[in-house]
Amino acid sequence: MADKFRVAQPWLTLLARLILGAVLLVAGALKVPNLPKSAMAVRAYEMLPIPIANFLGYTLPWIEIGLGLLLIVGVTVKISGALGALTMLAFIIAIAQAWARGLSIDCGCFGGGGTIDPEDTKYLSEIIRDIGLMALGIFLYLYPKGRFAIEK
Amino acid sequence: MAANNGSDKGTRNLVIGMVVFIVAVGIIFSFISNRASSNFAIPAAVSEADGYGIVLNPTATPTIDVWVDYQCPACRTFELLHGGYLSEVIAQKKAKVVFHPLTFIGAESIIAANAAACAADENKFVDMNLALFQNQGGSENSGRWQGDTMLAIGESIGIKSDSFKQCVREGNYVKWTRNVTEASASKNVNSTPTIRINGKDLDRNTEYGDPVKFKAALAAGGVK
Repeated sequence: MADKFRVAQPWLTLLARLILGAVLLVAGALKVPNLPKSAMAVRAYEMLPIPIANFLGYTLPWIEIGLGLLLIVGVTVKISGALGALTMLAFIIAIAQAWARGLSIDCGCFGGGGTIDPEDTKYLSEIIRDIGLMALGIFLYLYPKGRFAIEK
Repeated sequence: MAANNGSDKGTRNLVIGMVVFIVAVGIIFSFISNRASSNFAIPAAVSEADGYGIVLNPTATPTIDVWVDYQCPACRTFELLHGGYLSEVIAQKKAKVVFHPLTFIGAESIIAANAAACAADENKFVDMNLALFQNQGGSENSGRWQGDTMLAIGESIGIKSDSFKQCVREGNYVKWTRNVTEASASKNVNSTPTIRINGKDLDRNTEYGDPVKFKAALAAGGVK
């Protein structure tokens, strides 16, 4: 069992890097063409003061792109994986508090966002998806060395 | 392996440097390109103090603020449901009504918002507002809304002046739409449509979709 894991682990790391990296890259790239909307999505969570929410709305998509690129090419995988997991944890907390407070918002994870009709919310599936992505980030923190990485 | 270590490190640092560069340039460029302009034309009816909205009945009270995007289907539904009553309120000067055309959906929202502002200069904003929603297409940014479409919509409600044509064609108020967006961000507007009376949100779950409750909410805010 342990031997099998040792053989599979570099490939699992590669897979985790590509999935988490691609999701972050796509999520960021989809938001960049409409950053005022991204800022609106962050405001809709009603967690942060408006100027900070707006600032985050403009910067977060680029940070997602940066983390995605680092993970895909395989550089600073340990730190990027940890940062990716922390980002996902922040998203999970944000979505969960919106759900608990009875807000009706779109998570704005891949563009979009803002207040929507209550029947259109899908908090549970968003949280489950982000837990899965957070798990990939944690795996990368624990096992950063994998196949096809620039950093050996 | 050992011989390769030096170049591996170099590649690693180069890649980190490039990614950091992309992120930094991206962030800086994003803030600059989305910054509201300070040098731009605004329609006569627009007031900076009212979030750069188009103001009707500036001296009346109470104040009703309406944020819409001309391509947003829920805004069309809202207009068709409550637009008639709102234009009554405006015509009878029962309230100051401020329209904020947002442009989150994209290029054709900007074309429409510009045309609506041009119509405001012809004292035809309310008609243009309704006509734009009636003309809304099925899909967003499909290429259907261009300058000529706006001129045709304007003509259908009786705007034939050269100043309107020029205003639409030259996009006189395109820059102004950015200021409307920025002002809405500082007022925590997170959805279209958003309707506030005296700065207070109407209840999205009940008062938006029901003409009776909508009227009651406006009445509670002081619309007699």
